[in-house]
Amino acid sequence: MISELLTRFRFLIFRKRRSELDEEIEFHLEQEITTRIAAGMDPAEVRRQALIEFGGIEPTRDQCEQQRPGSWIGTVLQDLRYALRGFRRNPLFTISVLVTLALGIGATTAVFSVVDRILFRPLPYADPSRIVSVGMVHSLERQEFLMGRAYVEWQKDQTPFSVLAAQSTMVHNCDLVENNPAQLGCITFQVGFLPLLGISPVLGRNFLPEEDHPNGPHVVMISYGLWKGHFDGDPHILDRMINVDGNPARVVGVLPKDFQFPTLESADIVSPFAFNPAVQQTVNGGFGDPMRLFARLKPGVSVAQASAQMQPLFNGDLNWFPPFAKKELQLSIRTLRDRETQDVRPVAWILFGFVLAVLLIACANVAGLMMARGAGRQRELAVRSAIGASRGRLIRQALTEALLLSFAGGLAGLAMAQALVMVFVRLAPTGIPFISAAHLDLRIAAFAALLSCLCGAIFGLAAALEKPGLAALNAKVSMSRNHAFLRRSLVTAQIAVSIILLSGAALLLRSFTKIEEQNLGMQTGGVLTVKLALPWWRYNTNQKVMDFYLRLESSLRRLPGTRAAGMTDSIPPEGSLGIRYSDLAVQGKPRGVPGIGGTVVGRSVTPDYFRALNIPIVRGRNFADQDRTGDESEVILSRLLAERLFPGEEPLGKRFLSDSVRGRGAIVVGVADNVKNNGLTELSDPEMYTLRRSVPGDWGGDRLMVIVDSAMPLAAMEPWVRSEVASIDRTVPVEMEPLNQTISRLADRPRFETTLLGFFALTGLVLAVVGLYGLIAFMTTQRTREIGVRMALGATRGNILRLIASDGLRMVLVGLAVGLGTALAVSRMLKTLLFHVSIYDPLTYIAVPLLLSLVALVAILIPARAGTRVEPAVTLRAE
Amino acid sequence: MPQSTDLLQGTLDLLILQTIALEPMHGWGVAQRIQQLSKDVLQVGQGSLYPALYRLEYKGWIRSEWQITENNRRAKYYRLTPTGKKQLATELASWDRLSSAIACVLGRATEAS
Repeated sequence: MISELLTRFRFLIFRKRRSELDEEIEFHLEQEITTRIAAGMDPAEVRRQALIEFGGIEPTRDQCEQQRPGSWIGTVLQDLRYALRGFRRNPLFTISVLVTLALGIGATTAVFSVVDRILFRPLPYADPSRIVSVGMVHSLERQEFLMGRAYVEWQKDQTPFSVLAAQSTMVHNCDLVENNPAQLGCITFQVGFLPLLGISPVLGRNFLPEEDHPNGPHVVMISYGLWKGHFDGDPHILDRMINVDGNPARVVGVLPKDFQFPTLESADIVSPFAFNPAVQQTVNGGFGDPMRLFARLKPGVSVAQASAQMQPLFNGDLNWFPPFAKKELQLSIRTLRDRETQDVRPVAWILFGFVLAVLLIACANVAGLMMARGAGRQRELAVRSAIGASRGRLIRQALTEALLLSFAGGLAGLAMAQALVMVFVRLAPTGIPFISAAHLDLRIAAFAALLSCLCGAIFGLAAALEKPGLAALNAKVSMSRNHAFLRRSLVTAQIAVSIILLSGAALLLRSFTKIEEQNLGMQTGGVLTVKLALPWWRYNTNQKVMDFYLRLESSLRRLPGTRAAGMTDSIPPEGSLGIRYSDLAVQGKPRGVPGIGGTVVGRSVTPDYFRALNIPIVRGRNFADQDRTGDESEVILSRLLAERLFPGEEPLGKRFLSDSVRGRGAIVVGVADNVKNNGLTELSDPEMYTLRRSVPGDWGGDRLMVIVDSAMPLAAMEPWVRSEVASIDRTVPVEMEPLNQTISRLADRPRFETTLLGFFALTGLVLAVVGLYGLIAFMTTQRTREIGVRMALGATRGNILRLIASDGLRMVLVGLAVGLGTALAVSRMLKTLLFHVSIYDPLTYIAVPLLLSLVALVAILIPARAGTRVEPAVTLRAE
Repeated sequence: MPQSTDLLQGTLDLLILQTIALEPMHGWGVAQRIQQLSKDVLQVGQGSLYPALYRLEYKGWIRSEWQITENNRRAKYYRLTPTGKKQLATELASWDRLSSAIACVLGRATEAS
């Protein structure tokens, strides 16, 4: 067995010399001749006879060659050489196919890489489809949360879950106090949290149950990033004491490298949640501490069943809440994937659809090009078959060509995909989950390779399966009718699909320009926002915080060029602390009905806020600096709120009751114009500005920023502001950004979506037009003789042009009609993404067909005009 | 010329192996010997002879070398290799099994024995 293999291998490398066989055959002939002469035949006749009997020498040679192990390699190489020669002879065809394949495969692979994590890939936990986020939702908080008092009951009485575990509601800033201080994100979770997710620490251990108790020992787990970065991957990190916010804590574990919190937050330090059931009935107004709750469904329990089983418990909890709140609270149980990818999924699906459409167009293009080439080569195939090429050989040749093309196209596509993914990641705004982790991986590469092989095999076979008939030897027969019909249908379909893509992209573009152009109600140019992270364990009283900011305000006001410097807790178009409309109680008016009227944005500002953002005061007056030290609390209403609260009345001088606004009464001193305050795309809410007075009680809360309106270039301002901050406290980190940049970043998401879909729509258009151009050009060449005859019989160039163009225009018109109908039908899917644009936006549905017709007309006229330049005398004589 | 019988697939290999098992032989000699032994019933055309020889050589069952013939002419002689000898034995055994089976089916078992 082994020796046999060795022999084969030897012959694979050392081929026999051709002359050996020749000599052997010559010897055979001589022997034959000698025998016959000896038998008495005529020597002159003998050689001829012997040769006849011997038969063909060349086939024998071929057959002997074919016996050689590995001789098929030679055949393949020959096929490859032949294919390459063919491609070189026809570069336009080759380049069109390659570009089409690269675009199709590249775009598909890139987008698949991006949406894969969002739509298809399992989350990085054990059996992730069984993990759910459980809790209540509320009009002001759409992510599930739960209050500690309810959690005590749920833990006791729930039935649908095998495990429940809580984490704190958000990551809070904390300080690592040591020689090399750092500000970090801290979070807490229960001891059961990691086992619930099926994660174990990469180093050390999870918390112990006795550590997850109130007043338990101070232990922490740290993130992989913190360990590798801040602690240089110290192998002795376990049991090391670190100082977090002034409290020493022992490191017991390091989280895995790719660990992600189910909330997608990033935190560096985890402490035990230390849930204390005993106090939950008393803390936080009797509701208990808020938390995020995750659970694992018991086997066989669906999300719907779990909701049904939890409903009675939830209804019981509702009894503690005041009646108006009951209406707004709902039980919510969602799978983890739904929670993580909530609002990105529609976009991801649309993107996926767009890309599949582009891939379809690309495939149709390649199919069309291959078919045209096949039709043009019928004669060549017929000749090859006539001089002895077998059917199998022809099919193998065609397959080789197709696979070679799709392999090259696949490679180019992978390169293209890599580039596109890099572009996507660069362009992508924050808030799209997982995108920064998107990269080409093996699965996706395999997906592309499979795709390209499939494309190649199908087109290759389509071209080769057709048996070249003898008729093809006679070049006067043009390509068969049904082929022509297939190609026309392909081109028509391409046009229809690209209409759908274009109108989708156009709708998004219109929506995006509306977002960009809308009036925010304030000035954004020349305004600098300054955010400061005061270490809270040093600035631990409101008095200290207020002192810091007041000193900063007065020093910023002294800077040259400063027109206004104010403080606020937030800045439009972001909202701020919501107040319930029904909670606003005005002196001398009946109270509103609880739970009705939605929310009111409340903002706590200093007098310069309106000046800095140039928000006009339409009635009454702005806050004044002397108000800040007075006893009275002043408020300014937005016009919307004033009109709603005091329709047809004078709002100035009205007084809010002491329990309604920030726990004290307040008097209305002015009405400001409306400002966009609920994000860029949502409807604005009514708004109330309270004066941030210079008393410590007004300086609670951790959200505070300074806005500076300056006549100086902002780039020059930044170092000044930095040095002013440093002169007060040089350890405070400062973050600065021009306001218009902040706002432009808010539009990143729609910009990203629009760019992406626009790119694919244009790719689709280009491919479809290439297909149309190719078909018309091909048909014109095929009809050269016919055109020659027509011209010889007296047709003018105009006649010929009309003849060819009308053919193309028919396809375009049918494509337009089908495409428009489908686009109108499916545009509903875009609805959630559109801002102030109807899904039947007339402008879009006029402009897109016009654009496409125009481009298509050019694609038709160029080859058609070339067709009219036919010289009748030349074509008629050509064959 | 007597009508030649088509050789069963694979039978040619067996005949060639058997023929050169006796002594090393060149291609023409093999053809002649088969024709002779079969009393002109089996005629091996060079179109199938040489591919078969090459195939057997590539399989490592026979080996070739150039030698001088009795009338001083250079010719390529084929001889069995040890693997070829084993192969011949296997093929002979399976041929016997096959031919007796066919004979049984055709009802000539008694005559054949």
